[in-house]
Amino acid sequence: MTELAQAAISRPDHYTPRRYRVRHSTIYSYESEVEACYERGFLRPLETWSQQVVSNEVLVSPEPDVITQHVDHFGNHSFYVEVRTPHTELVVGKVAYVDVAWPRPNLESLNSFTVAEAAARVEQEADALERAEFLLPSALVDLAPEVTQYAEGILWSDRPLGDALVGLYSTIYRDFKYELGATSVRTRLPELLKLRKGVCQDFAHLSVGCLRSVGLPARYVSGYVETSPPPGQPKLEGSDASHAWTSVLVPGGEWIDIDPTNDHFADSRYIVTAWGRDFRDVSPLKGVIYTEAKKSELTVKVDVFRVNPDGTLS
Amino acid sequence: MSAAVPLESGVLDEYRARLRPDAVDELVTVDGLRTDQAALGAALDAMGMAGLQEAREEAGSLASDEGVTYGTGQAGARNWAIDPIPVLIGGSEWTALTDGLRQRAVLLDLVLSDLYGDRTLLRRRVIPPEAVLAHDGYIRQTVGVDAPGHRQLVVAATDLSRNADGAWTVISDRTQAPSGPGYAMATRRIISRVMAGLHRATPLARLRGFFQTFTAALQDASPSATEPPRVVLLTPGPGSETAFEQAYLATLLGFPLVEADDLVMEQGKVWLRAGDRLEQVDVILRRVDAAYADPLELRGDSQLGVPGLIEAARNRTVAVVNPVGAGVLENPALLAHLGSAARALIGEDLRLPSPTTWWCGRPNELSHVLANLDSLVIKPISRAMGPVRYGWQLNGAERGELADRLRAEPWVWCGQEPMQLSTAPVVTRAGLEPRRFVLRTFGVAHDDDYHFLPGGLGRVAARVGEYTVSNYTGALAKDVWVLSSDAEQPALSVRDRRLGPPLVVRATGLSPRVADNLYWMGRYAERAEGTARLLKVVDDFAEDNVSRTGTPGAVATDVLLQAVAWVTVTGSIGAGESSVSYLRRAVLDAGRSGTVRHCASQVINAAQHVRDLLSVDTWAVLGRLNQTLEEIPDDDDQLQTLLDDVLESLLALAGIMAQSMVRDESWAFLDAGCRMERAQMTLALLGSALTQQRPRPVEDLVVEAVLRAGESIITHRRRAAAGTGPTVALESAIDLLLLDRLNPRSVIYQAESMASDLTLLGDEASASRALALAQALEATDPEQLLDVPVLAVQLAAIDQEFRRLSDALAPRHFLRQAPRRPQSAGWASPWQVADD
Repeated sequence: MTELAQAAISRPDHYTPRRYRVRHSTIYSYESEVEACYERGFLRPLETWSQQVVSNEVLVSPEPDVITQHVDHFGNHSFYVEVRTPHTELVVGKVAYVDVAWPRPNLESLNSFTVAEAAARVEQEADALERAEFLLPSALVDLAPEVTQYAEGILWSDRPLGDALVGLYSTIYRDFKYELGATSVRTRLPELLKLRKGVCQDFAHLSVGCLRSVGLPARYVSGYVETSPPPGQPKLEGSDASHAWTSVLVPGGEWIDIDPTNDHFADSRYIVTAWGRDFRDVSPLKGVIYTEAKKSELTVKVDVFRVNPDGTLS
Repeated sequence: MSAAVPLESGVLDEYRARLRPDAVDELVTVDGLRTDQAALGAALDAMGMAGLQEAREEAGSLASDEGVTYGTGQAGARNWAIDPIPVLIGGSEWTALTDGLRQRAVLLDLVLSDLYGDRTLLRRRVIPPEAVLAHDGYIRQTVGVDAPGHRQLVVAATDLSRNADGAWTVISDRTQAPSGPGYAMATRRIISRVMAGLHRATPLARLRGFFQTFTAALQDASPSATEPPRVVLLTPGPGSETAFEQAYLATLLGFPLVEADDLVMEQGKVWLRAGDRLEQVDVILRRVDAAYADPLELRGDSQLGVPGLIEAARNRTVAVVNPVGAGVLENPALLAHLGSAARALIGEDLRLPSPTTWWCGRPNELSHVLANLDSLVIKPISRAMGPVRYGWQLNGAERGELADRLRAEPWVWCGQEPMQLSTAPVVTRAGLEPRRFVLRTFGVAHDDDYHFLPGGLGRVAARVGEYTVSNYTGALAKDVWVLSSDAEQPALSVRDRRLGPPLVVRATGLSPRVADNLYWMGRYAERAEGTARLLKVVDDFAEDNVSRTGTPGAVATDVLLQAVAWVTVTGSIGAGESSVSYLRRAVLDAGRSGTVRHCASQVINAAQHVRDLLSVDTWAVLGRLNQTLEEIPDDDDQLQTLLDDVLESLLALAGIMAQSMVRDESWAFLDAGCRMERAQMTLALLGSALTQQRPRPVEDLVVEAVLRAGESIITHRRRAAAGTGPTVALESAIDLLLLDRLNPRSVIYQAESMASDLTLLGDEASASRALALAQALEATDPEQLLDVPVLAVQLAAIDQEFRRLSDALAPRHFLRQAPRRPQSAGWASPWQVADD
């Protein structure tokens, strides 16, 4: 095992199975009445090989006229919400109980392929549609020369795949400063590469771009991660946030999740809401409102608590 | 393709000499006329160039008269340009062509179903997935949406031309929201008159039956059991380039033309806002492009679509035709793979060829295209991704740059063999010119088959030698005639052959947007007429009196000029300005509200929003009105003539309303607008001119002018002479213009008409309000009103009551939906995990 790979897994064990309670609510307050509102959002976590949804409750206020869901093109639970009761505040919330158990990535087996071999292997064995979908550039992941160049410094073709993935998340973690407000939903990768700062969504997009540029299909994952309160303090309600990271298709048909914001592979602290080509496919909640109101205020509250075997939270 | 008829014609000989050696012509061959063209050849010969020039001009003026336009917005709209010579297609040739088109439509329908369903074609790489997934017309939000009708692709349009061998060849498929069948019909209407003799003598397939089939096809698409289903045509609005066509098509199909504000999502269903109720919509014929169709799922800033439309389609509470996402079939990369798809899906070879196309997403094909860049047409897979490039037109640097782009993103590019389009004769000042010809055909799915408009919309390039044939670049339309004897009428649908009673189409109520525009069209038409009449009277009066300083006539002129300012709200006469200059401004200043020209443009603007409800005659009148006001006379003496012309148009408009409109809701809103405006203008005129004590000679002159402006001077004189009316003009004016129930110019007449209009509209509350106003006027003692201060107070009170009545109409009849905005939680305050 390489030194880098060794370092990557010699960390506290976050891979043990556990149960989480995730609460996420989005609250819009308007300066005057909204006559009608239509929303689309991903209001139920995905069922994946790393997680199972024990229960999921969706709360919308005012009482919606319609709330329906379907499984979208990417396999996500997409909800349509229609509210035709005039209101000055809209609340869309969910409470999900999720059992999570991520396997520890097998670096040795990943390292048995070089990056180029892995790309060639995936081309042979993957579903043509799925591979193409996650290999092509997308609205927020343009494969500009700057991106390719950045990727080549990390994902060179004869580098062992496991090392390359560790290298990708750790290099982005090292190269970029985490800074709120430096970027927005419109920031493109070449601009991000100049800024050298951003938030988890940016780092997820960048790593997706790097992987695609070397021929590895990669997707953007939207979800949550359990966070720890500052030492000695209790965890506060609503103190978390939604998170985003990257998943890459490797030989054998497995998807491996990496988190460049936090410098490691995804583990059992990670709960998946939805995945797609980039943020645009999995925007947690977006809508259209009919109103004369010019201003609104947005509050998002998220918390992720471990559910102990006795039902208490920690 | 053989030549049969020998040629002895000056016109055609000259034309033949101009033919491109490398292309087929639709009319002639090197040594004669093509098959089936004999009658046309003879007709052209008989007409000669002079006759053809005349025909060309007549086609232009008919298009102008009927308001057939193409182009963006009011300013950019231009008259539909038509070449008078039709293109003739023989009956059996047409039958063979439709067999190919039918196969293609069936195939494209299956491809569409697969791309939004199982996607087997992509998984098996029959069609390379990259070519579809990278196309902006592939709408992932509609994956899994399955239209309830028999076919996903209801309207299939195809652009074709003949290749150098004379074979009909597909240039591209048009499936997003194809425009043209309405233009084809409008073109036929005009050419059948311009070439009346030939048209009568030629046995040709008529177009009307196709539109009946189209109506039935849309009804077939309905997901609901309601009979007949409610179908609407969703338009982006009068700003659309093909606004004329959309409205005309709606009329031909018998369905209302609606804009986004007319529709509302409720209970997961789409409803038409009809008056104060909602009517469920079953089928939407979509002329709004996919990206704008549903702001909830697609472009959030779109004001042209309905949020939730895709959800409604998914749940089959509504059918969208063509479905959102059908634009993916317009991808030229599909041309390279459609042959394989045909073999895979229907086990047949394609009957209609298309130019050989290489999709660059495959390495071998990319190399081929790069190696032959200078002789190929290079197309991005989507028109939104940039223009088509003709390799031979590029210089070295441009070619290098293009090659780099192909190498960087090969999957978004195609190379295509250039195709030698056929030519057709076009009438120009310099004789007949051979210009490249493209035919757009239209098919609709009905009764388990596709039915085609016999012929289609023909277009020829704007210039000789030009390769692109597009309305953007100024192409001319061609009427396309399919020859047929009675024995071989093109197949019509079962429903058409049964014929019997015409298709039943569901009546729909008027939306607030439509009602509002009708009401204001009425108001502005009346304001334009009233203003023109007043200005004419005052101009005439001023001419006679203005120079006689100090006379009652001069004083009266000042009073009348002030009345003009007050009634029209166009501002007062400038210091030292001549009355004629001031009045001229009040007629012609387009930038100032209240002028005749401004009112007329407001009439046209409102009319454009309700196009489908107005007759061809109405457009002819509005077109003339517009033209009159654009031809500004240099000579001030011509103001009277100009005003006469304006009044003539406006009277024609009023005549159409009075004589040719069914007394339905549309008419009631128009009429209510006229009545409201006439009442307010009359009250303003009386209030301004008659409510000051003036010396008797001045008063008489002013009152007579007012009676003249109110079209009541003759009645006044007749009654005075016969002793049946007051001899004092003021008394007569109060009687005739305010209180006479029998004078259609009186205020009381307007109130009573308003009451009956509102009753027709089912608005009892406002109707009784109007009636109460009429009763109050009837109860007024005319004697009392001779006291000028009392008159002033009364007129103001009546005016206020009319304004209140108008205000009361808005919330009930004209209420739009609140502005619509997108909202997104974006990526709210992301979180970084504390160090492990």
